[in-house]
Amino acid sequence: MYKNIFKYDDMKRSEHMAVRKTAGWYFWTHQLLEITGPDVTAFLEYMYPNKISSLAVGRDRYTTMLNEQGEIIDDVVIMRMSEDVYWVSTLFATKTDDWWYFHQGDYDVDWTEITDDWAMYAVQGPKSKEIVESLVKDSIADLKFFAHMDTEIGGIPCKINRGGFTGEKLGYEIYVSPDDGEALEQMLAPAVEKAGGKEVTEFQVMAWTLPTEANFYYMRDLAGTNPFEVGLASGIDWEKDFIGKEALLKVKEEGAAREMVGFEVPEADIYIRSKQYGGPGEPVFIDGEEEEVGRVSKLVYSYVKEVNIGYILAKKDKLHVGDKIKIHGYDAVITEKNWISS
Amino acid sequence: MSKKIDERIPQNSGEGSGFKNYYGIQSPWNRIYSYQEALHYASRFESVLSAATLQALRIIVPDYAERAQLMCEEAYARLYNTGKYYGDDDGFGIHPFFCGQFAGALIGDKGDDALLMCGRCQDFGTYRAEKELDVCDWDICGSELCRTTTMSLQGQAAASAERRRKGPDIDYMMVEAKGCGDRHCRIIAESREKYPAPPHELWQSFGPAVTDEYKKYTQEEDCVEESMMFREECGYHFVNGTNNTTDSSNQMINMSTGASLYILPAIAETVKRGYVTRAQADHILKCVLEASGKAMFGERYAIKGCRDWMGVPDSIGEDGRVMGGLIEMLLQSLVCKYDVEAFNKNEVILAIDRTGLEITGTKDVPEAHLWMWQGMIKTLVNVQWSLWEEESPKGKMRIKIAKKIDKFM
Repeated sequence: MYKNIFKYDDMKRSEHMAVRKTAGWYFWTHQLLEITGPDVTAFLEYMYPNKISSLAVGRDRYTTMLNEQGEIIDDVVIMRMSEDVYWVSTLFATKTDDWWYFHQGDYDVDWTEITDDWAMYAVQGPKSKEIVESLVKDSIADLKFFAHMDTEIGGIPCKINRGGFTGEKLGYEIYVSPDDGEALEQMLAPAVEKAGGKEVTEFQVMAWTLPTEANFYYMRDLAGTNPFEVGLASGIDWEKDFIGKEALLKVKEEGAAREMVGFEVPEADIYIRSKQYGGPGEPVFIDGEEEEVGRVSKLVYSYVKEVNIGYILAKKDKLHVGDKIKIHGYDAVITEKNWISS
Repeated sequence: MSKKIDERIPQNSGEGSGFKNYYGIQSPWNRIYSYQEALHYASRFESVLSAATLQALRIIVPDYAERAQLMCEEAYARLYNTGKYYGDDDGFGIHPFFCGQFAGALIGDKGDDALLMCGRCQDFGTYRAEKELDVCDWDICGSELCRTTTMSLQGQAAASAERRRKGPDIDYMMVEAKGCGDRHCRIIAESREKYPAPPHELWQSFGPAVTDEYKKYTQEEDCVEESMMFREECGYHFVNGTNNTTDSSNQMINMSTGASLYILPAIAETVKRGYVTRAQADHILKCVLEASGKAMFGERYAIKGCRDWMGVPDSIGEDGRVMGGLIEMLLQSLVCKYDVEAFNKNEVILAIDRTGLEITGTKDVPEAHLWMWQGMIKTLVNVQWSLWEEESPKGKMRIKIAKKIDKFM
């Protein structure tokens, strides 16, 4: 009982390590909203705290989306497709649609969900560049991080976006028509295999183990937090007006009440509840004290470090790197949140 | 009969006073219970009714395996079709890149919380998922129902998967069931591609799991009694792993019960397959439900408890208002509309919105309640009192509670 669902699973391990060592490809379609109109840039500036107007055509930007209380309600990648056309990549299109609708006011913008028009495939890992380069009609050699371009693969029109959710320096996302998805897969799979990589099929690898090792968040981690608590405040444009600014300025002045810290649990076969499965997460206490100092947000396994790793959303300054604590009876140690940088 | 309505607290009592945010139910004698308590009451009452209907099905199809298989086949087919044509992946937080049937676990997870079947997801991956429940009000119905709910989830998962890129099929199994005496209900879903096991019939969806060693068993001290939507530590919201979030307005107590969603449709299926005629099925149901209703108040302490719960004053003795008040409590808990046409010491007349009581659109649910109430009144009040349907306008079930002598009762 409590056998580690990651450590002993050779399939997850091989898919995870393919991305770290060579390359992995996977179906990674997100929801897409295309937004346009004379006021589109101004509208997005108001909807999102990070600066949008400086985004060049052909480039992307990650940003959170906040409510009036300054809490994160989504985190998205905004892609500038042309001067007045943006794509917003999200996993909460319905909520975003409602949110935009209720805040549109006099902004002259129009948007539509185009999720069904595109299938997206991720190719991630050290060999991803040479793999994609071997497939595309136009070279991607000079494609910068968070930049996209139009080209073809085997006659299939596609968009190549450099980026990803794995923490790998090299990673690409290929957008094609869903009608061309199968044909693309037939070219992509052997190309990745030839380079020593493989298909990533396990949701837990693409959404949890790879991103967590690299200090990335799934939206469940961010829900109810503000950008200062989770280290996502650095790109905020304080010169402009945006939803949540007033509340966030207060946090900026007073300091965040909580912070996301990393932790490791050396024992392999454990039972610690985490928010990634839903629910409130395991409460965290400092030894000998009754005060709850945080909740376990994420608990996965690092195939690179060979240890259980995760995040705790904790009261500010209660937990420090190196602190030894017990979580649900298991010994744990507080760490930095990145397990692949060193 | 006068059709008089005695002095009682009006149903709109307190309107405009600022208490409008207090959602709950109110007895005719002004006992107020919260929305949360109302859901718990309705959930358990409907479970008792469901348990009785399953006894009827046991009479119709005596063999366990045959009966369970029939229930599973009927539920799988119906929920598959419902999921195929009315599925809402986004409404469950199923992301477009999810490939395969594992995503269906999110449907079950959200439904559990809305049905007060609280617990926790223990694993959620492309090839394996695990959900553990600490509470299930349906646990008294019978283990056939446990098997059937599992197969309905299988049907929904299959339908949902067909809307996305092909991925692994998953074998959903309830490897522990409170209905079988286990501490928890535990569904473990496994891909047979990754975790091979011999094929089985639908009704045999009880495991054992190949991945039993991965199981996360929650000890008693860590078990919960309330859904996330009623727990402070959850911010009074259900939140799943894909950050699909709802509050307590998303309850499903008046949308899905063991009887409405599974057992009565299964009885309809037995009629379709020729086990019994519709008249025979109704006869068996009526007999079982009436007896079940009588058993509810066979002991004096049960009557006292019920009267105290509703705040019935001592000045009201053994008359139909006690039964009428109890029915009102249930109808309010089920958010079922009704009108009070009479409420006095001689008679109570309630005109009930049939659609509100049909629950999931199952047409014979109102009759099931009627038969159970006909039994309950005999012990909650006394045998001089009866309850019957009379002069129902279209779309209503108009029930009358009064004294009645019937030589064939």
